[in-house]
Amino acid sequence: MSINEQNAALSAALKGRARAKVLGLTFDDVMRYFFGGNATVAVIVLVLILVFLGKEGAGFFGQNQVNLSVYRKAGLEYVDLMRMPMEEFTGLTRGLNDVRLNRFKVLLASGKDAEQANAALEEFDAFADQLGAVAGDARGLMSDLTEVVSAVKTRVQIAADKDLERDMLRHAGREAEAKALKSEEVDFQKEIAAIKSAAGAWKPASEAMGAGLRAATAAARSAAWAKGDKLLEKLLLKAEKFAVDLPEVEVRMAAWRWDEPVPYSRSVAAFLYGREWITASFWQDWYGMLPLLSGSLLVAIIAMVVAVPLAISCAIYVSEIATPGEKAVIKPYIEFVSAIPSVVLGFFGIAVLGTVIRSLSQVEFLHWIPGFPMSERLNALTAGLLLAVTSIPTIFSLAEDALANVPRHFKEASYALGATRFQTLVRVLIPASLSGIISAILLGFGRVIGETMVVLLCAGNRIAIPDFTQGVSAFFQPVHTMTGIIAQEMGEVAQGSIHYRALFMVGIILFFASLIINYIAQKVVRKYRISIG
Amino acid sequence: MSSQLADMPSKIVNPPSIQPAADALPTPTPMIVVDHLDFYYGKSKALHAVNMNIAAKHVTAFIGPSGCGKSTLLRCFNRMNDLIEGTRIGAGEVRIQGVNIYDPTVDVISLRRQVGMVFQKSNPFPKSIYQNISYGLELQGVKDKKRLDEVVEKSLRGAALWDEVKDRLHSSALGLSGGQQQRLCIARAIAVEPAVILMDEPCSALDPIATSKVEELIQELKKKFTIVIVTHSMQQAGRCSDMTAFFYLGKLIEMDATQKIFTKPSQQQTEDYITGRFG
Repeated sequence: MSINEQNAALSAALKGRARAKVLGLTFDDVMRYFFGGNATVAVIVLVLILVFLGKEGAGFFGQNQVNLSVYRKAGLEYVDLMRMPMEEFTGLTRGLNDVRLNRFKVLLASGKDAEQANAALEEFDAFADQLGAVAGDARGLMSDLTEVVSAVKTRVQIAADKDLERDMLRHAGREAEAKALKSEEVDFQKEIAAIKSAAGAWKPASEAMGAGLRAATAAARSAAWAKGDKLLEKLLLKAEKFAVDLPEVEVRMAAWRWDEPVPYSRSVAAFLYGREWITASFWQDWYGMLPLLSGSLLVAIIAMVVAVPLAISCAIYVSEIATPGEKAVIKPYIEFVSAIPSVVLGFFGIAVLGTVIRSLSQVEFLHWIPGFPMSERLNALTAGLLLAVTSIPTIFSLAEDALANVPRHFKEASYALGATRFQTLVRVLIPASLSGIISAILLGFGRVIGETMVVLLCAGNRIAIPDFTQGVSAFFQPVHTMTGIIAQEMGEVAQGSIHYRALFMVGIILFFASLIINYIAQKVVRKYRISIG
Repeated sequence: MSSQLADMPSKIVNPPSIQPAADALPTPTPMIVVDHLDFYYGKSKALHAVNMNIAAKHVTAFIGPSGCGKSTLLRCFNRMNDLIEGTRIGAGEVRIQGVNIYDPTVDVISLRRQVGMVFQKSNPFPKSIYQNISYGLELQGVKDKKRLDEVVEKSLRGAALWDEVKDRLHSSALGLSGGQQQRLCIARAIAVEPAVILMDEPCSALDPIATSKVEELIQELKKKFTIVIVTHSMQQAGRCSDMTAFFYLGKLIEMDATQKIFTKPSQQQTEDYITGRFG
């Protein structure tokens, strides 16, 4: 081959053959657009979801502000000022029942029969009646006013509904009908003035109540029958404190202004720090996150306490100790658990786990375990245990990967220095894979927080902040969760209503919680990669 | 060149009779004795009836083309091969100071304390320089801070690293340069005061300056330790070893004083390899 021939061949090769084209695109172009297109679709869908979440949730705080300002203007807030001491008082009288039950038991234990015991409690019953009667006037006034302000609120709601209807008619182009539709303008000033003047009766009623309370407690303290009863002693202290604090209600009522505007921040705070989630109430709806958030967290913490040790130990065993044969069984088996549909797990939880745990808790010789016997079959513990099952495969797989990814030469270096398997594990492998393990735990936590079906079926669905004053038995209380409430209530709410938007806000909070957890997990993993060097 | 390559297989199939290694060695006190060792990875035989004596407080170099079994033999000396699934000794023994280390009664952990190892890729733990050195002693339960301080300093001095790192003992070992990391690994190995140090191509990832530092270090270390070094570099074997063993396809072809191997080897294969005709 001459030099010229070689050059010609080279330049021909560099110019390239004409590639096959379809619609003016080469195969490479087609591949590029195909995969690029898929990526674009995924991104667009995600953006749409975010936009939709934001749009539907955004109106909530405004609506909640209106909701709260009606609560104030219609006087509901005013009446709630009186309701609070009345409810506290109801708590006191309920405490009396406990005291009576306790005394009754003591009497029975001392050999008396029921009739004798009841007779012996006559003086106590007289005291209880005396105490119960002191609230009569105040309570009557409060329930009268409750009806008055409820009526005002109803009128406000009817007016709002009519406004809405008028808007819709206008929107549909039926101007004449819209004009014909008149809505009543509620004159809050007048209504509140009437309510306030009726509430003038509160002062004498509350003074009478305080005096009656003081008289009753003073009598009980000097009476012989009340001596040496610690429960009663506590109750009397509470009652006396209540009587001292009672006049404060008047101060608060006097300071209350119906026309004080409700700031936007109050609406946000009422959602984020609200201790009550009450919907479709005849009185006032509250959309407070705390019971749902605390329920979700309680269940997730129970799940993690169970799942983390199990999953990490499994991961250590499989990656460092198991023979290849064991590995071939254990690994797919654990990973298979994640293939069980969560509704099936929930079903198992209701039918088997909840029942078994409760019947166990009722076995006499297990009563030393705190929280036993438990009253509810479906509670935070049942849901937490099942969630642990769903999160074990996640934590196990990721932790096992992290351990397996520790470079072999670390392990060899350690063995070559005369380390045992256990020393190598504890001093080299676990520290080197720690961030991977932590991120496995975080991702497992994210999985648990987002799980819906199991908690909906097994957590008991009582919307209340777990009562930690009861110690360990708080774990055996039914709870409701953020995911559960969305699944349960979303189907029943009117689109665009405040309740609907509140559920969206819960969804947004959930979304951000997951986002943050995943973000931290990724950060941790990145750090881990660097430290391996 | 091509003609010589073509000649090779016939020599392998019919290896010339090999002098029993022990006869050729002027070894006063053999530290390691390899006695007709056969070694298998699963079904494939990696070492064929290897015999050799390794002299105490000498540097012995293993040379040979890739896959000839020199690293495998090295890793037999501290039973590192136990970590690999499916490996086994087919026949023969490895005796260190008279003890067959594959005897079931031998404690592998204390064997590895006696036979330290430095790896091809420097592998300090992702811990501080200090912790890397003290690791081996802490494994043995040494907690005395003063003793640890002493050993860390002594080992780092022994590895000619002390002056470079004395001001940053508690910073990460991963911040050191490649050559420093490898000397740290040597310091880590000598901290537990083994009798033997195995080096598996310790300089293959280092630049020439770092390499010469490690080689100087090896000369220092042989005063106290028996050193076995696997290397791909003829020059390195020539520069720093006392004895050289040439392996080919799982067989020990020749073992002799380094000077003799590099000047007038008794086997044709050795000469071909050393002069760069193959390998």
